[in-house]
Amino acid sequence: MSGSANEGVVVDPMIREEDPQRLAEFEAKMARGDLIEADDWMPKAYRDAMLRMAEHHANSEIVGALPEGEWITRAPSLRRKLALTAKVQDEVGHGQMLYRVSQDLGKSRDDMLRDLITGKTKYHNCFNYPVPTWADIAMIQWLIDGAAIMNQKTLADGAYGPYVRTMKRINMEEAFHFRSGEDMVLTLMSGTPLQRGMCQEAFDRWWGPALMFFGPPDKPGAEHLPPMRWRMKTVKNDELRRRFVNRFAPAAIDLGLRIHVVEKDGHGSVIAKRPDERAVRDAATGDWGYTEPDWNEFFRVIRGHGPCNAERLALRRFSYEQGHWVQQAVLGRRAGLPPAA
Amino acid sequence: MQTIPADLRDDFVRLLLSVADDKLLLGHRNSDWTGLAPILEEDIAFSALAQDEIAHAQALYGLAASVSHPDARAGADASGDAPAADALAFGRPAAAYLCAAFVEADDGFDWAVALVRRFLCDAFDAARLQRLSGSGFAPLAHLAARLLREERSHLEHASGWLVRLGRGTTESAARMQAALDRLAPAAMTLFEPFDGEDRVASAGLYPGDRATMFRTWRAAVEPVLARAGLTAAFTLDPDPPRGGRRGVHSPAFSAQLDEMCEVFRLAPEAAW
Ligand SMILES: [Fe+2]
Ligand SMILES: [Fe+2]
Repeated sequence: MSGSANEGVVVDPMIREEDPQRLAEFEAKMARGDLIEADDWMPKAYRDAMLRMAEHHANSEIVGALPEGEWITRAPSLRRKLALTAKVQDEVGHGQMLYRVSQDLGKSRDDMLRDLITGKTKYHNCFNYPVPTWADIAMIQWLIDGAAIMNQKTLADGAYGPYVRTMKRINMEEAFHFRSGEDMVLTLMSGTPLQRGMCQEAFDRWWGPALMFFGPPDKPGAEHLPPMRWRMKTVKNDELRRRFVNRFAPAAIDLGLRIHVVEKDGHGSVIAKRPDERAVRDAATGDWGYTEPDWNEFFRVIRGHGPCNAERLALRRFSYEQGHWVQQAVLGRRAGLPPAA
Repeated sequence: MQTIPADLRDDFVRLLLSVADDKLLLGHRNSDWTGLAPILEEDIAFSALAQDEIAHAQALYGLAASVSHPDARAGADASGDAPAADALAFGRPAAAYLCAAFVEADDGFDWAVALVRRFLCDAFDAARLQRLSGSGFAPLAHLAARLLREERSHLEHASGWLVRLGRGTTESAARMQAALDRLAPAAMTLFEPFDGEDRVASAGLYPGDRATMFRTWRAAVEPVLARAGLTAAFTLDPDPPRGGRRGVHSPAFSAQLDEMCEVFRLAPEAAW
């Protein structure tokens, strides 16, 4: 899954140093809707921003494999075990494809893996939340993969050719994850009281992170800032969130789930909840309402203080370090281990 | 032969379960690497192997279920009855599992151990499926022939890695040899006979014998080890102690089963 808002990049001073004629050609290509290819000339600021976006997305795929990977050994049927293993395998594959896109923009995969472990680069926020039950797996595949598809479909309308093509490929697999998530949620909600209870509690945990998935409310004039101006991003965060709620709020209610406003402790456990009174359809606009998620929590998690940040990075580091001898043997890699945490 | 004589049915089901349980546990252990393997490309490949093993187990459990309850679902094919296969995979007490100790042990997230085990198991499974493909029970013979094709590609994949790492760096060679030293004696538990093995063998349901299968296995394993620059000595115990094939497992196996069945046991009758 994944892909997210690119944080703002300061462009103008860097663009001013670019060759004006090449810059004009580049901007004209953008305006015509042409795709930019890896070998094409591009402003350094564009290359940097695109690399950051693709690298962040790649990181998100392979860190996103971890919380779900934890449940492969506990999947409750052979069919689910196979599907979950295949799903996590797909996410690793997405990571691999996106690292390749990033490599072509000028950074080695090893550097990217090391920067991820040392915290120099980030991954998507939603993977810093705990996954305490099997129903959370169902919820991630339904809500988070669902959100990822919505986002990535718009990213597939972007301007950078290699990234756009990768999004199209990834989206086909994400659709499969989403359908399997939907099936799991439906199965649980049609099951025993225990299963329905698990499912509701998981929904309470994941509704907030799903709303946050699209990033914080847009800055004024977002359409003039680099991510949108250069079609790295084609739809604003709030618009994506609106589409998501319009699709998932009624679907959740149809399944018998209740939408709550929740309060969580530092471990990501729900300690209080009340019905979200805004979760109704506005007859005039047709839009479903929602209570804004806790954006303070969002920024706290982004800064590395979420419930599972340390755990996820420790596991990535473990994987990198325990496999280092294999990389050296196969790739002849000279790189040392990343500095201790 | 299209049906199993009643007096051989329990023995024959034990044959199917011993194969399926090996595959389930190995696939289970290997699937745990998904997302954590040393190289992304190999993460994906190793995960595919794990999925194959679990899918093989699923087909064999389906066949075992239809043999144990021949009237339950007339015409159910090998991959047939999902709840029955799940009940066999997740719903038995530890002593009813017939997997070898070799597949159930924790690999300690040591890639050398995971790989060497895969290699030795793949070679064993290829030899066993070869035997099964000659079974007088046609549904098993057909299934085994199909699985054998995949098993051979597993063996090829594992062999490639063994050679690559055995001939890689000084460190990788040492790690592979250490893993082999540790695993070689335990690999012999794969050959422990299950109760009734001789009876299904002489009835032609599992044609061949242990000693021949051991020779076939060594003939597959030893040339690859030689190419990898690794050494091991294997000796078949003519009268092995009672182990996994006869339901005798370590305490660690129960703990592992508790983890594997944790969610299933919350509501064993429910759909998940
Ligand atoms: Fe993905
Ligand atoms: Fe996904």
